[in-house]
Amino acid sequence: MPALQRASFGYLLRHPWQLALALAGITIGVAVMVAVDLASSSAQLAYRLSMETLNGNATHQVVGGPGGIDECIYAELRVAHGVQNIAPVVQGQAESGDRTLELLGIDIFAERAMRGFTASASGADGLAARVSGLLTMPGAVLLTPRTAGELAVEIGDRFELRVNGRTRNAILIDHIGSGAGTAALDDVVVLDIALAQEWLGMAGRLSRIDVRADDDDAKQLSRLLPADLEVLNAGNRTQTTAEMSRAFTTNLKAMSLLAMLVGVFLIYNSVSFAVLQRRNLLGILRGLGVTRGQVFRLLLGEALALGIAGALFGIAAGIWLGEQLLVLVSQSINDLYFRVSVTGVDINALSLARGFGAGLAATVVAAAIPACEASSWRPRLAMSRSVIERRAHSLLPWLAAAGAGCALLSLLLVQVSGDSLAAGLTALFFLIFGLGLCLPPAVRWLTRGCAWFARRFAGNAASLAIAGVAASLSRTGVAIVALAVAVSATIGVSIMVDSFRTSVSSWLDQTLRSDFYVAIDGGGDMAPSLVADLAAVDGIAAWSSSRRAWLETPEGRTRLVALKMAPESFAGTTLLDADPDTVWPAFERGEAVVVSEALAYRRAIRPGNTLTLQTGPGPRGFDVAATFRSYDANPETVLVSRRLYDRFWDDPAVDSLGIYLEPDADAQRVQARLRAATGDRAVLSVRSNRDLRQRSLEIFDRTFIITHVLYWLAVGVAVIGILGAMLALQMERARELAVLRALGVTRLELGGLVTLQTTYIGLLSGLAAIPLGLLMSWMLIDVINRRAFGWSMEIVVDPAVLWQALLLSAGVAFLAGIYPAWRASRAHPAQAMRED
Amino acid sequence: MLVNVKIGLLATVFTVVLLCHAGCAKAPEPAAAAAAPDLSDLLGSPRESGYRLALEPRVFEFPRDHGPHDGYRNEWWYLTGNLDTSSGRRFGYELTLFRFALSPDPPPAQGSAWATDSIHIGHFAITDVERGAFHVAERQARAAAGLAGAERDPFRVWLYDWSIQLFPGNSGDADRWQVSAADGANRLDLSLEPARPPVLQGDNGLSQKSADPGNASFYYSIPRLTTSGTLQVDGTRYEVSGTSWLDREWSSSALADDQAGWDWFSLQLEDGTDLMYYQLRKKDGSTDAYSAGTLMPPDEAPVPLAPEDVQLSVLAHWDSPAGGQYPNEWRFVVPQASLDLHIRPVLRDQELDTWVRYWEGAVDISGTLGNTPLNGRGYVELTGYARP
Amino acid sequence: MPVTASTSPDASVSLRHISHSYLEGVRRHVVLDDLSADFASGEAIALRGRSGSGKSTLLNLICGIDAPDAGQVIVAGHDLTSMSERDRTLYRRRHIGFVYQAFNLVSTLSVADNIRLVLELNGIGGQEASQRVDELLQAVGLADRGNSFPDVLSGGEQQRVAIARALAHRPAILLADEPTGNLDDRTAADVLSSLDTLRREQRATLIVATHSNAVAAACDRTLELRDGRLVAAD
Repeated sequence: MPALQRASFGYLLRHPWQLALALAGITIGVAVMVAVDLASSSAQLAYRLSMETLNGNATHQVVGGPGGIDECIYAELRVAHGVQNIAPVVQGQAESGDRTLELLGIDIFAERAMRGFTASASGADGLAARVSGLLTMPGAVLLTPRTAGELAVEIGDRFELRVNGRTRNAILIDHIGSGAGTAALDDVVVLDIALAQEWLGMAGRLSRIDVRADDDDAKQLSRLLPADLEVLNAGNRTQTTAEMSRAFTTNLKAMSLLAMLVGVFLIYNSVSFAVLQRRNLLGILRGLGVTRGQVFRLLLGEALALGIAGALFGIAAGIWLGEQLLVLVSQSINDLYFRVSVTGVDINALSLARGFGAGLAATVVAAAIPACEASSWRPRLAMSRSVIERRAHSLLPWLAAAGAGCALLSLLLVQVSGDSLAAGLTALFFLIFGLGLCLPPAVRWLTRGCAWFARRFAGNAASLAIAGVAASLSRTGVAIVALAVAVSATIGVSIMVDSFRTSVSSWLDQTLRSDFYVAIDGGGDMAPSLVADLAAVDGIAAWSSSRRAWLETPEGRTRLVALKMAPESFAGTTLLDADPDTVWPAFERGEAVVVSEALAYRRAIRPGNTLTLQTGPGPRGFDVAATFRSYDANPETVLVSRRLYDRFWDDPAVDSLGIYLEPDADAQRVQARLRAATGDRAVLSVRSNRDLRQRSLEIFDRTFIITHVLYWLAVGVAVIGILGAMLALQMERARELAVLRALGVTRLELGGLVTLQTTYIGLLSGLAAIPLGLLMSWMLIDVINRRAFGWSMEIVVDPAVLWQALLLSAGVAFLAGIYPAWRASRAHPAQAMRED
Repeated sequence: MLVNVKIGLLATVFTVVLLCHAGCAKAPEPAAAAAAPDLSDLLGSPRESGYRLALEPRVFEFPRDHGPHDGYRNEWWYLTGNLDTSSGRRFGYELTLFRFALSPDPPPAQGSAWATDSIHIGHFAITDVERGAFHVAERQARAAAGLAGAERDPFRVWLYDWSIQLFPGNSGDADRWQVSAADGANRLDLSLEPARPPVLQGDNGLSQKSADPGNASFYYSIPRLTTSGTLQVDGTRYEVSGTSWLDREWSSSALADDQAGWDWFSLQLEDGTDLMYYQLRKKDGSTDAYSAGTLMPPDEAPVPLAPEDVQLSVLAHWDSPAGGQYPNEWRFVVPQASLDLHIRPVLRDQELDTWVRYWEGAVDISGTLGNTPLNGRGYVELTGYARP
Repeated sequence: MPVTASTSPDASVSLRHISHSYLEGVRRHVVLDDLSADFASGEAIALRGRSGSGKSTLLNLICGIDAPDAGQVIVAGHDLTSMSERDRTLYRRRHIGFVYQAFNLVSTLSVADNIRLVLELNGIGGQEASQRVDELLQAVGLADRGNSFPDVLSGGEQQRVAIARALAHRPAILLADEPTGNLDDRTAADVLSSLDTLRREQRATLIVATHSNAVAAACDRTLELRDGRLVAAD
């Protein structure tokens, strides 16, 4: 290494902790970003892979309405039209213990063209055994070796599966998916289509028909089909489903960027320190004839090296962290959207490259500012600190103006960007960044007041400490901003989650009006005969029913909910923009439908508009009477009356019943009667409204665990920033502190001084974080959530959140100050004064 | 045709023991056996299987017996034929529909139209002599949900869009068989009229395959059907006419342990004589004593042929690119009938590379009856020769 | 302007009508006022003057760190005032050696590397640089301290390293700002002797700002800065 580089880098090596903190900042920032990216992309990839594996070679899928497809269509295609490369599928879910498994009912003879894993066994004899077993052995199923292992089932073993509320005896006859790509098939139970129909109660119906065809053939195929069937592109279908969770993962990524943003402040902090402290060295070098460009390149090169190292550490840490987060992410996706079984993070180059690039870019940008400034210094020797400080101070108004500009730009962006989520997130970052820039001027102003107070009421030492913060704003400013941003994130996110939870909770109160709810345990279709028997049970005053279905068109999927309302049920659905007294009668007559707020928002539909839906007889327009409030995870929902549903969709089944008891009826007894009426047709799950509400909120809370994890990581980054800032500040002032010691200030007093200073910084950050956090919560609720999910909610601010944030901020700063204080107090005055 | 033979051919796919007879002397996979304990029914001797057995001659009744015979493990409708266009272009075809029961018990799943214990397999081949091309397709389907099946009245057997149907003739009109199959650019739509009544093979239709009682099938043929219709080969349609042969067989039997394969001849001679002969081959290469055949002169009673009635010698061989060597040209002498025939395939490579590999192809016959030259056409099936 | 290695023996310095001032708060402070002077090649000049009289400013102008408000600074035939900042830096790198009162060694580099740094900046590396470093350390009597870091050296030793560093690349002009200001008389004499020996060997022009009589006495002539102008010392 040439002497010039050695001269500069030698400084960092002499101050390893500073190097370490800068590295830590980059590392954590990159790690969080990579982790979230990996976790959410792994969850989606796992889903996609699993779908791709399950779909096999299918390029298209024939799908029908809520009730699936009449199986005769398949035979007609095969026999009358000679269509090849199609395969029938009956799909559903089963439970084993607390594990949810996917049932894939197939006709093995149609599988060879479609799915390798079902039709490929070890050799012709293995396949013979499989064909024979699937068709003739009662309960024959196939599992991956891993799933079988986890269920403790060996080939030839019988085990129980719960399907559609009934316990079924399965026997594992063979493994599927030996070798690579097996993970995508974990938790999949392959069985014969006849058995699948029997278990799932889907006699006569298919879930879909898989098709392997080019687009022309697919088009031809669609001409052979009745109007209620659609030929959809399999990849698009998977994509559409996967994208249901996109709003969720986008929000996660936004949170991870927040950590990165805090990381950027920290990097800036570290690098600018490193530059400031070498001002003497840089002066000497400039005096010796080192050019500005050389200085700039020197510092930037250093930052680059630091950035590369930090980003690499960050990637390593991110992979580890991603594995931890993956559990949370996939849990939430399972709770809210679709079944996904994830066995590990998929370390994809793109995520890593993104994290690496972002970390490097952040470092370079953060370093470019001080490097640029340092290279602009005139080569005067021992550029005095006061000059730099003065310069920093003279920058403050500009900083404030730029910050305000950014914030305004952000608000403007919100106004003009319609419902673009990306623009919303950009605006959020502009807002945070802009307000962050405004903080140093605010700190200065605040500190002047505080120093005056301190001098007045707390004596000289305190005022020295406090004034020190303002005086050294070029160093403390960034630390304050970093901590404030991190703490404001805790405020913003807490308020958002609180508001959300409050809204969801009151929505649940409103919606869950029945005394209790009855469904098939583990989920499943309730046949009309069962519904009729249950409704006839003594002690029931009224009952409602609901059926949830997906309507699929090439344009996407729509959630359809068919309701048979009890008189008491109507109040359970809050209409936002129309008179219930006129809407519900029309709704009940089947003349109109009601759409969720999110659907109305997303598709710009208002009461009075017509909404076209795919029905049994083909597409048909329906009048929209009103929009209703819903916090469902699949927010774009259309409500139709059961009468309308029965008229247009061939699907008599029901998902759940809401039971209203007669005033004097005993809930326990009615439940017992319901179970008796069901007999062995199914195992019923009966839940009180309170129980259901609690479970919903549990899922809600579980969804936000990861959000909390992420903001704590951001706080962690900020704490490191404060620690680094304070250490550097104490080092910077080593001589000054040594003089204080020489003048007779005790170690304890000196430590106290330093601690006071850091705590004060924490307090300042906390104060600054409050308005920032409030703004951020508004942004998250009214812009981000609205755009991501279409939800609207009341902003609920719990004062506790605010003072806790203040406490948090002061607390972490206090903790971060302990070590620097200890160091400062241990320093030998004579030595410190000698040091250069 | 042969019960044992054909079981050996296709049941390979479903049974392990029989696989050995198809040329693979491999012991059953323990895993496979463990995987499907109920398979033991299939793997054991036919007498213990629970299926119905061909034990003694029965009374055949047509058209009823064209239809399916439930309770037997397997059954097939086997059509082969030689066709010409008006411009003299020569084709051969094979369309075979097999029914296999997987279990003598009723299907396990209830309440589903897909539940079944039997499956259908089809082979469809066209020999394009002029182009030297041989097109093969294979299909499998469950005999359920309308996808495949066999019905008695009116008779129809089908597998997806491949089918063989019978339209019984009204008062004096001949029966008409309608045959269709398609695969990609190849298609077959033929109308067949029997040129002679069904011939019962073996002992009045009971065809014994080994010494083991029950190791036998019920077997009849319609050795000559006048055929016309359309054939589409590689996308080009041809109006064709010619002669077909229908073989019908059902049983629950299997090959004996020492049998390796067979050579089956179905020969249609110009003078109206038809000849069927199968030579069962033992693993040591010798001819099995249960080999048999029938000489069916026109307007005369069929004459059973025992191995000692026939002199069959191989004149040439053909090496399959996929492995194994097949006999490919024969001298076929029936001294008692003064028949001396020279049999040559119209195309050397008529091997079906289906789940089980075998050779089945159109042949030309030249020879003499006494001193009179006598030519003909036919089909030959060769199994148990394929080697990996 | 092209800054090539000067092969000419020209080491003259010519200052023509130089004025220089700086802002201190809102007040403009005039330091140099229409100053002109000529120093011949190889000459040794002592600059005297009260603190704040502009000695350091003058040195900064000659080495190209600062540019005058008006006038020309011509060093070794190069007109510094017409050069860009970058060219002045490159000029300084090549033609100027500077010795400071506070030594200003790079604390993160060893003694030898401090000298080597200047050589590397001038494109001299490898064996040639090592040889030169050894030679210089020998010359200033610190042959055995090459691997030491500056903070373990005494003030006199540090300044002798600084002198070696200043002359390592054989500059035409050697500038010194109170080189003995931080040293005791005895040490100062040692340092001065090192400085003088090396300068003479390389025939560099020396301009030294000093309060020290001893330093002034070692120079060819002494000028005094007074009211922004140079006058011959009494």
